[in-house]
Amino acid sequence: MPAVRGDGMRGLAVFISDIRNCKSKEAEIKRINKELANIRSKFKGDKTLDGYQKKKYVCKLLFIFLLGHDIDFGQIEAVNLLSSNKYTEKQIGYLFISVLISGNSELIQLIVQSIKNDLASRNPVHVSLALQCIANIGSKDMAEAFGQEIPKLLVSGDTLDVVKQSAALCLLRLFRTDPSVIPSGEWTSRIVHLLNDQHMGVVTAAASLIDALVKKNPEEYKGCISLAVSRLSRIVTSSYTDFQDYTYYFVPAPWLSVKLLRLLQNYPPPEDPGVRGRLSECLETILNKAQEPPKSKKIQHSNAKNAVLFEAISLIIHNDSEPNLLVRACNQLGQFLSHRETNLRYLALESMCILATSEFSHEAVKKHQETVINALKTERDVSVRQRAVDLLYAMCDKSNAEEIVLEMLAYLETADYSIREEMVLKVAILAEKYATDYKWYVDVILNLIRLAGDYVSEEVWYRVIQIVINRDDVQGYAAKTVFEALQAQACHENMVKVGGYILGEFGNLIAGDARSSPAVQLQLLHSKFHLCSSMTRALLLSTYVKFVNLFPEIKSHVEEIFVADSNLRSADAELQQRASEYLALSKLTSLDVLATVLEEMPPFPEKESSGLLNLLKKKRPGRVIENPDRLDEHVKKEPRETNGTSGLTLASNTEQEGGSADLLGLGVPSAGNGNGPTTNGAGAVTNNIQKFYCKNNGVLYENDIIQIGVKTECRSNLARLALFYGNKTNHPFMNFQPNVSASPALSLAILLQVKQVDSTVEAGAQFQQMVNVECVNDFDEQPDLNLVYNYNGAPQTVNIKLPISINKFIEPTEMNGEAFFSRWKNLSLPAQESQKIFKAAHPMEATDSTKAKLIGYGFQLLENIDPNPDNYVCAGIIHTRSLQIGCLLRLEPNKQAQIYRLTTRSSREAVSQHISAVLCQQF
Amino acid sequence: MIGGLFCYNHKGEVLISRVFRDDIGRNAVDAFRVNIIHARQQVRSPVTNIARTSFFHIKRSNLWLAAVTKQNVNASMVFEFLLKVVEIFQNYFGKISEENVKNNFVLIYELLDEIVDFGYPQNTDSGILKTFITQQGVKSATKEEQAAITSQVTGQIGWRKEGIKYRRNELFLDVMEYVNLLMSPQGQVLSAHVAGKIQMKSYLSGMPECKFGINDKIAMDSKGKPAEESKTKSAIAIDDCQFHQCVKLSKFESEHAISFIPPDGENELMRYRTTKDISLPFRVIPLVREVGRAKLEVKVVVKSNFKPSLLAQKIEIRIPTPLNTSGVQLICMKGKAKYKASENAIVWKIKRMGGMKESQISAEIELLTTDTKKKWTRPPISMNFEVPFAPSGFKVRYLKVFEPKLNYSDHDVIKWVRYIGRSGLYETRC
Repeated sequence: MPAVRGDGMRGLAVFISDIRNCKSKEAEIKRINKELANIRSKFKGDKTLDGYQKKKYVCKLLFIFLLGHDIDFGQIEAVNLLSSNKYTEKQIGYLFISVLISGNSELIQLIVQSIKNDLASRNPVHVSLALQCIANIGSKDMAEAFGQEIPKLLVSGDTLDVVKQSAALCLLRLFRTDPSVIPSGEWTSRIVHLLNDQHMGVVTAAASLIDALVKKNPEEYKGCISLAVSRLSRIVTSSYTDFQDYTYYFVPAPWLSVKLLRLLQNYPPPEDPGVRGRLSECLETILNKAQEPPKSKKIQHSNAKNAVLFEAISLIIHNDSEPNLLVRACNQLGQFLSHRETNLRYLALESMCILATSEFSHEAVKKHQETVINALKTERDVSVRQRAVDLLYAMCDKSNAEEIVLEMLAYLETADYSIREEMVLKVAILAEKYATDYKWYVDVILNLIRLAGDYVSEEVWYRVIQIVINRDDVQGYAAKTVFEALQAQACHENMVKVGGYILGEFGNLIAGDARSSPAVQLQLLHSKFHLCSSMTRALLLSTYVKFVNLFPEIKSHVEEIFVADSNLRSADAELQQRASEYLALSKLTSLDVLATVLEEMPPFPEKESSGLLNLLKKKRPGRVIENPDRLDEHVKKEPRETNGTSGLTLASNTEQEGGSADLLGLGVPSAGNGNGPTTNGAGAVTNNIQKFYCKNNGVLYENDIIQIGVKTECRSNLARLALFYGNKTNHPFMNFQPNVSASPALSLAILLQVKQVDSTVEAGAQFQQMVNVECVNDFDEQPDLNLVYNYNGAPQTVNIKLPISINKFIEPTEMNGEAFFSRWKNLSLPAQESQKIFKAAHPMEATDSTKAKLIGYGFQLLENIDPNPDNYVCAGIIHTRSLQIGCLLRLEPNKQAQIYRLTTRSSREAVSQHISAVLCQQF
Repeated sequence: MIGGLFCYNHKGEVLISRVFRDDIGRNAVDAFRVNIIHARQQVRSPVTNIARTSFFHIKRSNLWLAAVTKQNVNASMVFEFLLKVVEIFQNYFGKISEENVKNNFVLIYELLDEIVDFGYPQNTDSGILKTFITQQGVKSATKEEQAAITSQVTGQIGWRKEGIKYRRNELFLDVMEYVNLLMSPQGQVLSAHVAGKIQMKSYLSGMPECKFGINDKIAMDSKGKPAEESKTKSAIAIDDCQFHQCVKLSKFESEHAISFIPPDGENELMRYRTTKDISLPFRVIPLVREVGRAKLEVKVVVKSNFKPSLLAQKIEIRIPTPLNTSGVQLICMKGKAKYKASENAIVWKIKRMGGMKESQISAEIELLTTDTKKKWTRPPISMNFEVPFAPSGFKVRYLKVFEPKLNYSDHDVIKWVRYIGRSGLYETRC
């Protein structure tokens, strides 16, 4: 702010230096208190302050606010500054307002007026300041107040370029807070044509705006494609000397290029062959330029150039239509893989991940496998290594799976702890997906557990067991391998789990060898027993009892283990129970029974390890790079019914280890498609319409599949309802149509304005629908909400009332006792009064909740007015478009009889009747 | 078991750092600075746990003193120790300030070595410490002297050495009390207690044995006197008390007699606390009237409530003002009053005030209307003063000195007793 310094606010400078010289926090607070008192007395004083002084004090307040203290005065002075003609004063005024004024301030009207004046000013600087302020506040109020004017400024012919630029950015900000601010129709083409503007600054600003608009409404702004392409080609083909001010280190208009390329990524490749050809030409030129020797050695030059290049590559990937370009992009990225700039390597790997999913470039990406693996080994930056892992995962297919899995396993030993778990999952998924030989798969997983046991989640070892059980051919091999693995000195607990389970099932397959005789197996497992957690111990106990069945010759050893105090009298109830039950099983039952109970586990239902994939998604929400072939397989798959675990008897339950339920229901969501909920389905349905008389926000309706929430905002005779529809299920709702309607009588009394919504609600999603209500006359009904949608193919309907009643338009009115009773007497005609006596439904002692209800209903609670302190007295004014209706209310509790007497008086008979009818159900 | 002791200046720079145990690393020094001294919000708890390490801190003038430990120590022991450290420093080099600490580095480290051993506090009596840690440089003690020091420090009476001689045997007792009060606007006492201590200065020859009598209810009852008599003599109920190590606790427990061999020089003999029958020296009557939204009228009356012959001193009354005060007019009959904007309070000072008197101040406070709906919280009016009596009613009944070996008796000792009552947190809500 050079202008301010020139102006020299000495007082401010002194104050700031005082603060900076303070030795302690306390001293600082003292100094600030003193200054605040001074400013207060100055503002309060009778002398009128001149602009300079006001500016100075407002500056000081701003400084104090920025130090973290609350400022609750001075707004008026700041608003006064707005009407000053001096730039510095106006600027400080705007600064203060954009920093300090909260959205609901009473001063907002005044501010809006000042801003309006400035917008209409002929001085471009003033207009720019006003635009800046609007953008900085950026509230709904601002959007409502200026939504009309700013677009005019933007497209008008006689606006200066600088102002246009600000206007575009300001409009973007308002659009983000309130998407309804941009009018559609005629404006569309005029805004789009800003891309053709002479001034590059305007184009840059407009590109951002249009990008946001396109995201909201792509169809309407389709016209921007050809304009953007032609603009882009003009930039790309021009030499850097053509744009004097907009050339950045020899790159012509890099920011604009990037924005245009981004804008084009919102659409599929252009259909018009001419435009399409031109775009390809542009992209090719950009790729060509990358090959040219740099025009400058400065880092800024290469940064700008690469920014454009990467955005071009993103567009190429997005379009995914021209194999030639894709391959060229891939080669370009390949060059970057060995660039010495870390950021470039990172970006190259990231883009390649996406390239790998395209059918055209998958092969091209695979050419760089060596480099990527090398990057994994030698790269210093952990985030780049992470990207390399992602890319390896993405480029993996049948031909290179074995090599990649091997490399990843090798890397796992030295990998960073932060990415280990993810890597383990990826290895597990790849190994399973591309396994041609299940022996290889078992080896890989066991290696995985050996190398990074801590990071192997339950699902991974559940999966290996499932596969071993389902494949007869690997069972013997698996038993042998785990037996060997268990012989290691230090053995991870997960390995013990796998080993225990597999030996328990298939230990007999290797019992023939003397080196792995039953006794040796038992001894080996039991040597690990004491080092394991109780869950694993429970699993091992199951293994032992299976040994009893498999190898009767070591029965006595096993029984000894069960009898041991640490098992039979274990503090862990599960262990104790297993030990005693297994002991009984082995001692008492005949061989037949034993053989039946401890039979080999039946094969698991075949399915993909979608659980692992889900897990991977959970780990890194939002940025999972799919392994390409996975996509289609995934779609094809039908969700399977889970094998009902509830059907298992206790005996078979104890026979399996504790996590058996997980083993069976691995990751498949239990979608109960059999009994789809029908209208107002049998499940728990909540319909809270009664409660909404006394509150504005909350859940209106809820059943098993949908939740409807409401948020109400009221201002005099206007109300705005936000309805939130939440899909609680895993399936999208189709043909979703909420209809808000009013009965004929009601539609005369209130005006409803309902925003349209999308017809689909994604699974688990929530969206909002706005309903504007204007109260014309008093009414006593409520509008209907009729909701129709298809869930899982079955049509559903929900009929509820919208929580709009006359009380939403009550404005609380404060008055003293005298005023209240004189008005009370004025409304003494029998028709104006409605009285009800009713039993209390809630405890009468809870006066706080009663008060809260009355206040929530909309009244002002007048305290200490009624001679009897127990009575509640309230007043309010109902605003309708045509008239205002005063309402008075008196609620007298009788604690002995537990009854209330409610008297309502208002100038309209119907209103009194309605209010007392509603309120008598609330207490 | 204190792991280490650090001292910082107000900026957080380390002045003293002494680590007693291995489990405390250098990073603990930084942890305290970052998390407490430079914390965003002021840390109000004196005990903070950062990464399984406990920090106990006190603040004196501009310095932070922090004890660090990884073990589960007795927190009150640590604070007692920190306060003792401060006391020792004060005894050695006067006021605690950054300057003084910097000038006495060597001495402080020497002291720390002596008063803590492997994290366990040792003898912290400054009288004794002064016998072997001096400020006059090294004095090569003879073998006999060294032996004397050792036997004395490790002996039964570690707080007094033998062979002290004075020409005049004198004994000074100061009874200092701090009155704490919280009163409702209607004059109802919400909470009140007195924290008192007896400061003793003894200049006695030889190894005298002293007996000390106070008007404690239990002690008087146990003397076998009837209850009524003790009441007429206005015995007071002491809630809890604490003695200097020289007091023989066994005798106090069995006979309720306070008997001891006093340390030489100045020492705190006893600390106590009472909550019953406190005679409050002052009563503050506030009257606050809100005249519209832009004005506030405050009237405060102060009444002294003790014998007219006594004089209270250093009276200061602090009346908080609302945060949106824009101007204050003051009229007071006595003393000086001033609006201190930096503290958001009116400060009214009266130098002296006799008993059973009354004085009054009235203030008109102009307010600036602000846009916050927050009401002024009306913080309590606080007061400071000093009176020449003990508000708890504490009395020294007798103090007898016996010195069997030397030829002076109880009558030859000149004894002085003084009572001082000061305000602690003395507040009245308005």
